[in-house]
Amino acid sequence: MVRGKLLAALCASFVLSSSVAMADGLVDPGRAPYVDAMKGKKVVFLPLAMGFDLAEGWTSGVRQTVVSNGGTFSIRDPNWSTDAGAQALTELIAEKPDLIVVHNPDVQSYARLNEKAEKAGIYIVQVNMRSSYSTDGYVGADWLKVGEAEANALVKKCGAGTSGKVAIVQGVLTAATSVYQIGPILDVFSKHPEIKVVSNQAADWDASKAKALTTTVLQQNPDLCGLISFWDGMAIGSSAAIREANKTGSVYVVTNGGGEKMACDNLENGNFDEYVSFDVPRQAADMGDIIKTLFQSKLKPGTIKVSLYTPNQILTKASLKPDTCWNMKDLPKS
Amino acid sequence: MMGGLLQRAHFTQERIVFAITVALFLLFAVTLDRFLTSVNLLSLLQSVSVLGILGVGMAIVVIGRGIDLSIVATMAIPVAWVLYMMNQGVPIAAAFGLGVGFSIGVGLLNGFFIAYVEVPALFATLAMGAFVYGFGRSQLFNQDIIYLPTTSTWIADIGRMHVAQIPIAVLFFAVVCAVAYLGLKYTKIGRFFYLMGENYLAARITGIPTRPMIVIQYALSSLIAFIAGIVTAAAVTSMNSRVVNSTLIYDVILVVVVGGIGLSGGKGGIRNVIVGTLLIGILLNGMTILDIPFTLQNLIKSAILLVAILVDSAINPRDEQTSQQGDI
Amino acid sequence: MAGTDAFVRWRYRFVPDHVVGEILSKRWTDNLIPLFFLLMTVLVFGAAIQDFYSLGYLITAARQLGEFLLIVIGLLIVMLGGGIDLSVGSNFALANIVGLIAMNVLGWPVWTSLICTILATGAVGLINGILVGYLRLRAFLTTLVTLIMVRAVVDILLLKFSVPISGATPDSDLWEYIGDGTMLGLPFSFVVAAAIAIVVHIFLSRSRPGWHVAAVGGSRRSAFNIGIPVRRTVCMTYILSGALAGIAGFLYAARLGGAGADTGVGLDIGALTAAVLGGNSLGGGRGSVAKGILGAIIVLVITNGLVRLGFQSGATSMFLGAILLLAVSIDVRWFKNRHKVLSKVYVSPTYFQLPPRPSTLPDSGSPYALNDKLRNVEVIGLDQIEGPEDVILDRDNNLYCGSRHGDIIKFFGPDHKRSEIFAHIGGHPLGMAFDREGNIQVCVGGMGLYAVSPKGEVRKMTDETNRSPRSIVDDARVRFADDLDVAPDGRIFFSEASIRYESQDWAVDGVECRPNGRVICHDPRNGTTRTVLRNIRLANGICMASDGQSLLLNETWACRVLRYWFDGPKAGKVEVVLEGLPGYPDNVNRASDGNYWLALVGMRTPVLDLALRKPGFRRRMARRIPMDEWLFPNINTGCVVKFDEQGNILDALWDLGGQNHPMITSMREHRGHLYIGGIYNNRIGKYRIPGADPNWTAQDHYWGPVR
Repeated sequence: MVRGKLLAALCASFVLSSSVAMADGLVDPGRAPYVDAMKGKKVVFLPLAMGFDLAEGWTSGVRQTVVSNGGTFSIRDPNWSTDAGAQALTELIAEKPDLIVVHNPDVQSYARLNEKAEKAGIYIVQVNMRSSYSTDGYVGADWLKVGEAEANALVKKCGAGTSGKVAIVQGVLTAATSVYQIGPILDVFSKHPEIKVVSNQAADWDASKAKALTTTVLQQNPDLCGLISFWDGMAIGSSAAIREANKTGSVYVVTNGGGEKMACDNLENGNFDEYVSFDVPRQAADMGDIIKTLFQSKLKPGTIKVSLYTPNQILTKASLKPDTCWNMKDLPKS
Repeated sequence: MMGGLLQRAHFTQERIVFAITVALFLLFAVTLDRFLTSVNLLSLLQSVSVLGILGVGMAIVVIGRGIDLSIVATMAIPVAWVLYMMNQGVPIAAAFGLGVGFSIGVGLLNGFFIAYVEVPALFATLAMGAFVYGFGRSQLFNQDIIYLPTTSTWIADIGRMHVAQIPIAVLFFAVVCAVAYLGLKYTKIGRFFYLMGENYLAARITGIPTRPMIVIQYALSSLIAFIAGIVTAAAVTSMNSRVVNSTLIYDVILVVVVGGIGLSGGKGGIRNVIVGTLLIGILLNGMTILDIPFTLQNLIKSAILLVAILVDSAINPRDEQTSQQGDI
Repeated sequence: MAGTDAFVRWRYRFVPDHVVGEILSKRWTDNLIPLFFLLMTVLVFGAAIQDFYSLGYLITAARQLGEFLLIVIGLLIVMLGGGIDLSVGSNFALANIVGLIAMNVLGWPVWTSLICTILATGAVGLINGILVGYLRLRAFLTTLVTLIMVRAVVDILLLKFSVPISGATPDSDLWEYIGDGTMLGLPFSFVVAAAIAIVVHIFLSRSRPGWHVAAVGGSRRSAFNIGIPVRRTVCMTYILSGALAGIAGFLYAARLGGAGADTGVGLDIGALTAAVLGGNSLGGGRGSVAKGILGAIIVLVITNGLVRLGFQSGATSMFLGAILLLAVSIDVRWFKNRHKVLSKVYVSPTYFQLPPRPSTLPDSGSPYALNDKLRNVEVIGLDQIEGPEDVILDRDNNLYCGSRHGDIIKFFGPDHKRSEIFAHIGGHPLGMAFDREGNIQVCVGGMGLYAVSPKGEVRKMTDETNRSPRSIVDDARVRFADDLDVAPDGRIFFSEASIRYESQDWAVDGVECRPNGRVICHDPRNGTTRTVLRNIRLANGICMASDGQSLLLNETWACRVLRYWFDGPKAGKVEVVLEGLPGYPDNVNRASDGNYWLALVGMRTPVLDLALRKPGFRRRMARRIPMDEWLFPNINTGCVVKFDEQGNILDALWDLGGQNHPMITSMREHRGHLYIGGIYNNRIGKYRIPGADPNWTAQDHYWGPVR
């Protein structure tokens, strides 16, 4: 039925335009809705903070997509404060942009607000860390797979002949990353009794906390075999502690992150040994796709729940190529 | 009462703390088999050397009856800026010069507000810390963590260097202590700090230029903080500006107060800083070897700080007659 | 020269210089700076953010304001008491986690959870209170330590409970309502905070424990000395702060339900900035809920506005740090210099020209010519009294006088050797008069008009009059009642020397020479008090004239005696009886021969007379040199003068060498003698009046012989 109408319209337009210029070809019927969908749309990004690779990478990609298609893009930067972020989200609901990209600090704090925003007619796309409430879109790492990959890496390294002692440095305990990653890790380890988790603590995404924590762990367990850090930004701290204790190389550091140049540098110089990358430019592109899709669908916010998990890429020093990592410095400035 | 008794028996806080330190050291040495190894002792020293350097800076201010809560910000932000400039291709000498200038500038501003505007040191430096962090983070560089550029790994090499098996950070701590010790003991300015801490008004009446002295104090503490920042950056090849929001500042105060430098000023010296630093180092090391979790260690540490303050107030009771209104 | 003089006269007549000082002396001017800050902030952000003024935005902001305001109020109570509480941020986090554990993990009812939360944070407050209040530790460091300890406890709890908390959502409508509901269109948390703000405001400004807090903060030692339980009061402020942080944290838990590690981080510096920005002083003693609200709004508008405008991380910290620095600097400078600024600005001398000074030289033939008649007065109560400004005698020859200690002292007649404290009033008794019933009506400096019955019972007659609508200083309160007399119908007319100065600052009023005095009428029959005559240059002695319809009034700085009709055909009229006196008239009383005695408290000097015509000079003097070195009216020597209602000088009594009775503020004739008082004297003089009626008493003369 729809197709019939479309055909009719096409014919009509063809007839009309043909009288003007015969050789101009056809008008792409899908293009107009695509172009119009984004025009004048207001998209806001609410990260945990700006100033680190993930947020900068996402921002750059999404801004590119939105602005080049005629929308407007702005950022609310709460600088690691959940309260400021929640307040910004609350204000956004009153302000009513068309779409908000939300980076949740933990699974609870924004959950109710996300739901409210959808009810108020705002599309919500969550990135990398989802809240307990699923919204229109989620783009981010598959933490289950990330956790499994990390655990398996240590199982391989810390098997027989080693102490089998591993440490886990989580981020904010209630953040999606930690909540969804720790389970699969512990599942894998439970199948390998030779692996002993000697420390499982939270460093709240803070490198200096991670460093202090790791120093302690290393003193308690000088024969530590491996360490999983839930984010590369934190793992820096852990590896600094390892280096201070002159244990670089003897503790196998596994971490994950957005695959920025800093990660490759650290793999190169041996601070990290294995790295699970969820490609940030890819995530930014995914976000752009979801945003475009949502705007074209014209669905009422909250109608569909789509998740796009980023495929993981496992990097080691051996697998590094010059273009493996992206560089924050090369991002187009807004 | 207790304070009087203690003083009569020459139980200064420094001696008590020193005795506790030695006792703890012996206790751990006997009971913990991993404690008394040269590797452990060196790592013990290394882990507290930055804290100790900051403690020296804080001590200089506290002896003159001040306090510098912005010391962590002046440690982190100028150094992070230096690293950022190096990343941007600014020559190292220029970057260092600007960084030193920035940190001393912060100290001068602190001193100006405290000496000339007469803002209580607590608030001036608290606000200055927040300002310096915010200014650096939003105006000078836009990242939380600034890494040492890969082109200047020699700095990291220096940071990893050992001189006669002693880590370079420990050497830095020793040098800072030595210079500060000599400065406080044998220079006019050093003696003035003590006099001002002992009795500020009397010092002013006797003709000591108290206001410029205060400015110098804070400039010195900022400079020492910058040194601590460089040592940190060399050790971990990066500077994390979020350290400003951590509990490091409380540890610095802990070192100074536990060591026996009364917050009312005029007492103690670099020796006290060393004793305080060692106590904290041994305590942390011991707790760690005893397998006390990180979070619980914070609780124990703060409890010890509380005890130190209690002892301090018992030995140096606040004088109702001379304590000023608004002295909180 | 005459031209400039005229110009100066008109300039000082029409430019109200005194208004500036009077406005600055108002307590509410403290709030002007924060209010200005607030307006600026709102204007700036209102211009930068569209729909800033929309209802939606304001309601959203109000929800967060509620929680923040509670923290600020807690902090300002502590600050008002002279302390500081840095642990509010950690305590807030503790409340959040305890509330969430109780609701999500233990599944307790909302009310139980709330009480449990408040108990937990109140306990932290109690620990602070014991350490700071009872053990006298330094508030800043102590609460810094409790901040770390509580944060460590929160971290430990987080480690244990954060996952169970995240996994559960409490099924409670009330919980939902607390976090998300509205009451009359306003967010619930805002309503709670507003209610608590009102309660705390009443507590601080209207209740005894609340006053104690401000008193302890204002001066701990003085508070202790007058018997305020200082330690308990300080401890209580910390408990209140803890409890308020608990309520705030509970509201936060209900709103977000997230057990994040960053809860309450930086809240301490934000709340401190708000409190100081609002004008609550750091040392204590000065602060109010209104100031806290002002500050809280400013801080929230700035922090939210900066995030909203898309500023980089760190910008908030930078602005808050800078603003805190600025606010503390202003606070410190203002607190230190306000007194100085005020004293400089407040004294606003005006132009006044006195008539020429009559000679007082012994052989000048002047009626005021110096003599030595008072050299040999008999002395009563030497060194037993201090500051008998006025003396009065009853029919039974007992003598009453005031003293600096706030007593009325009675010397028993006829020899006046024995004395007792007749009544204790509290303020320095100045002018006195008997009414028909034999009560002593007395003007008390700083207190008002009081009556003392023949048995010595003290009763307040009045201390308030009608407020003039255009006066900036509150002139309803009687601060400086000076002298009085009682009309035949029982109405009491009393003078208030100055509405701009307290009684101890009378000399400053003289430097100013502004018509600040007035006459007030109190009618005991219906209890009303009205101001009847204004603009007197220090209204002083009052005495009923012989016609019963008018009174004589001394205008001290104008060196003249006025006659004011309060009844009869000339009612409301004022005439000058005597002007161009050689000195400053103080009290005036009746003499037995139908004339009047007049005390001159000090003599005019050519320098001060000239200075009165140079207000600019006096203003510079008041601003630039310490008060001790000011040019003041001389009160080292004076005399008693007798005059009649036509303004003729009949007699003058001096103590030339100043050996026995140099300083005179009052005199009272009684049975042939003149009893002389002086406000800085340690004695009362008794002078035998040659040829006076030995049986005349003022009490009989006013009210007739005893019935």
